[in-house]
Amino acid sequence: MIHAQGVFKEFRLYKKEAGFKGSLKAFFSRQFEIKRAIAPLDLEIQRGEIIGLLGPNGAGKTTLMKMLTGIIVPSGGRLSVLGCEPAQRLKYFRQRIALVMGQKSQLWWDLPAMDSFLLIQKYYEIPPKAFKDRVEELSDLLRVSAYLNVHVRKLSLGERMKVELMASLLHEPEVLFLDEPTIGLDLLSQKNIRDFLFQYHQKRNPTLILTSHYMADIEALAQRVVLIIEGHKRFDGSINKFENLLGHNKTLNFTFAQQIKEFNFFSPYSPRWNAGGKAVEITVPEGELRQVASHILAQYPVTDFSTQKTPIERVLETLLNSPELLKET
Amino acid sequence: MLKQIQQYLSVYQSFVSTSFAESMNFRLHFVLLIVMDLFFYGSAFFTIEIIYNQVTVIGTWNKHQVMFFLAFMLSINQLVMTMTSEAYWRFPELLKSGELDFILLKPVNSLFLTFFRYIRPGSAFNIFFTFPALIYFGVKVDLTPLAWGLLPFFLLFAFLLQSAIDLLIATSMFWMLEGTGMNFLRMEFQQMSRWPDFIYPGLFRNLFSFGVPILLIGSGPIRFLFNPNDFIPFVAMLGACFLLWVLVALFWKKGLRAYESASS
Repeated sequence: MIHAQGVFKEFRLYKKEAGFKGSLKAFFSRQFEIKRAIAPLDLEIQRGEIIGLLGPNGAGKTTLMKMLTGIIVPSGGRLSVLGCEPAQRLKYFRQRIALVMGQKSQLWWDLPAMDSFLLIQKYYEIPPKAFKDRVEELSDLLRVSAYLNVHVRKLSLGERMKVELMASLLHEPEVLFLDEPTIGLDLLSQKNIRDFLFQYHQKRNPTLILTSHYMADIEALAQRVVLIIEGHKRFDGSINKFENLLGHNKTLNFTFAQQIKEFNFFSPYSPRWNAGGKAVEITVPEGELRQVASHILAQYPVTDFSTQKTPIERVLETLLNSPELLKET
Repeated sequence: MLKQIQQYLSVYQSFVSTSFAESMNFRLHFVLLIVMDLFFYGSAFFTIEIIYNQVTVIGTWNKHQVMFFLAFMLSINQLVMTMTSEAYWRFPELLKSGELDFILLKPVNSLFLTFFRYIRPGSAFNIFFTFPALIYFGVKVDLTPLAWGLLPFFLLFAFLLQSAIDLLIATSMFWMLEGTGMNFLRMEFQQMSRWPDFIYPGLFRNLFSFGVPILLIGSGPIRFLFNPNDFIPFVAMLGACFLLWVLVALFWKKGLRAYESASS
């Protein structure tokens, strides 16, 4: 389905010193530098998979997506999506993919979404009956029927994102690229989008490639995670394997009746105290869970406690702070 | 092939309808564009009127011949203003904001989608001014029946050459990113082409006929319509039209390869 071998991308960046003098100097003598946005990268994605692309801002996730969709041309390597080289932008290829960008809109701002949908119908040559059925089905699933005839500029961010999703799915793409589809949305809207994507995937089984800074999106949808740091692929594997990268640890949360002054016991377990010193989160190896929990419950004025496996956010945060924990894949 | 033409016509029909719906949202702006275009066309004819109050001929052409030439060029201008002009101003923004991304994803020719998508319906209304003026002055210069038959095709060729020149200039924005200067250059060229080629001195005329063929847009077909023996500029116009469209396709492809898209 998607096959990348040694694909990389370099950009030429123009550097300028600040201020008028810098501008004048740069006008006559430009300084450029080459930035490698994506280092040679191999990637295999099978039909129907849901992949979460993780990484900090500027890691190269969007650049990778743009190469996979044919928007930008790789500087080198071999890339094949649906049996096509994306940069050739064959009609066959473009008819079978879609890209949703949380920070950009493909809809006409000064028109109702339905007008844009009718245009999309023409682009993709969707037969009228199929178009009508899909609009009905998707608007029901996303609960946006009431907004389809409202000008896009009048919609809330959550509503707009739903109609953006609709616009991208009308031609039933085989591969759907989602670049931060829930960015800026409130918690409920995020959940609605996640639920919809989950249901849609169950029903149609497209390949989904998703980037998001919200780990809830990744946990809810992705079966596999690819971590990119500074253009290098640092992890590629199942989400379970990713969660256990830091070992089989559990996270314990304790709330105390009063501020804890004696906290030497907690030190080996990477404690995170709240500001008042009345609550702590610690990371404990699975094998020591019973012993550590019993000790704290017996020795400290615990009013509440809970346990969970190490949240994916914590794994990611740790890996981003200490990328040396990972070997390059 | 026929199916593809049908698809593109259908897409274009949607462009017309969506552009119309979009323009109608802003009523005063819509009317103002019509009035401003009419003001521009009126002032162009008025300028010729003033000149011919002082002289009887310019070069070898009398007043009605120059008026016919001007009506032809304003008809081309009106087509450009209606069909493509808006897109040239929007294109640098598409490049800088990364909105071109969505155009490149659609299974339709990206050049067509970029430059023929924004129609100015207000300008379309002025067809009721430019085309009647063309017919009126055509009658005044006693066009032959053959010339009347050729006139619609010549309008098409002239529009194609004008668009090829404009597109070639616009394509450079892939590398320049800022489009204001290039759009002013495009407008200056259009301004120059609104005068018959013989008013320009020899070297200048040759440069802008065979180097940058802007003077061929109007002078090529009109000279042929007035005198079929004067066919060289018209043949040169057809050749330039073909060559420039090949160059447009080539540079557009190169431009897309250079396109880096904006960061999200």
